[in-house]
Amino acid sequence: MTTHMKYALYPGCLMPTEQYAYELSLRESLPVLQVQLVDVPEFSCCGEPMKSVNQLLSLYLAARNIALAEQQQLDLYAPCAMCHLALSECKHILDHNTAMRERINTLLSAENLTYTGSQQVVHTIDLLYDHIGIEKIKQQVKHPLKGWKLAVHYGCHAIRPKEIGRPDDSEHPLKIEAILRALGAEPVEDYPEKLDCCGAPLLANLPESALTKTGQKLQAIQHHGIQGLVDVCPWCHKMFDARQTKAGETIAAKLDVPVFYLTQLLGLAFGLPAEKLGLHLNQSPVEKLTVEGGA
Amino acid sequence: MTIVDLTSMGEPQTEQQREINARLVSLQNEISSYCYQCAKCTSGCEAHKLLELEPHKIVALLKRGLINELVNSDIIWTCMTCMKCRERCPQRVAPIEILFALKNMAVASGKQIPGKYTAMLQSILSLGLIQDIQQITTRMNTTVKRDELGLPPLSKPTDAQKFQAAVMKIATEKV
Repeated sequence: MTTHMKYALYPGCLMPTEQYAYELSLRESLPVLQVQLVDVPEFSCCGEPMKSVNQLLSLYLAARNIALAEQQQLDLYAPCAMCHLALSECKHILDHNTAMRERINTLLSAENLTYTGSQQVVHTIDLLYDHIGIEKIKQQVKHPLKGWKLAVHYGCHAIRPKEIGRPDDSEHPLKIEAILRALGAEPVEDYPEKLDCCGAPLLANLPESALTKTGQKLQAIQHHGIQGLVDVCPWCHKMFDARQTKAGETIAAKLDVPVFYLTQLLGLAFGLPAEKLGLHLNQSPVEKLTVEGGA
Repeated sequence: MTIVDLTSMGEPQTEQQREINARLVSLQNEISSYCYQCAKCTSGCEAHKLLELEPHKIVALLKRGLINELVNSDIIWTCMTCMKCRERCPQRVAPIEILFALKNMAVASGKQIPGKYTAMLQSILSLGLIQDIQQITTRMNTTVKRDELGLPPLSKPTDAQKFQAAVMKIATEKV
């Protein structure tokens, strides 16, 4: 019997307050792969959304969350690409800059917290590909996603900047495609818009432009004849799935692309019920694939 | 102590401004001998395709020390933070870091923060998160909330005042 891998689930803000399908599907599908998720109270925003306002605040918030997981002696699993970047970047800075670490720790002492750097941070991509591994995933597949022709959107924050260590390559990420092949699907390894942004970072101040960005990428995917899109970030998913109709209106196009969280597809291939994976919460036409199947 | 102090829409935060200025000057020194204006950053820029942000010009303007002009320009708020500029620069210059410093400076100088940033910050201060639990609509047009889906309680700071006090220290901290 394999030993359980144990992580503190760091939910962030967006996933636990509106992107419930991601949380439902990862809580259902990861235990099948012997991953144990621990709920830790007291977490706050990761800090990333405040980077443009005050970088010190951003760093403080990230360190605070890591320190909470350190108290439990648990590595952190951050399913959101933005959160994962904030926590990883914070770790990188505080592990290399003693003066900054002291400064942050002085601030953290108000809540009796200390950052020590003892724990690691993982994202869905490296958790599945590097820590669990393709073979173990393959062993659990009961309903292969046969014929599903899918494009992957990695999300800028999940793959850059390379120098601090990210879950996949910044220019040629391919781990999710490998996972999808293990699930029996047919991922499109490359398409011209693969590295294009989802638009979400502009939601706060230029929402029209944000939606244009979203629409352009979805339109391209549709044009390439790809059947569906897979993502691993609540921000990207919010844009491609929940805002798909609005994005289409913004660029005057009829968009009809099913969009899934990778963890939803994992669950489907493992034979878990669609409702438990939150598939009824997706706003995009997912039944085009879940009911009718791939080409 | 209020949110105004943190976003400094009242009195400009001189201490913070001094620190950010030091950051910008050190960035200016770093890039001066490295950036040769190849514009590779701009060719990959996600905001360039849509909103005409030109990271190589931002670098050029900083090189000339035009910090005030940059801080007062709306263009610095069009960056989509994709980080391609930082990733692809052959000289290891990171225009995105310059843009973050410029935006931080705009905020610390008491300039109005665009869009929803203030609301997000306010929510972080009162709740710890950028937003509270939302009611969402399923594809079958029914509405549902977190607890109705069997998800555990939301993780957030329980002592909001203590959390807020700690965050507020950042606004007043002497470097």
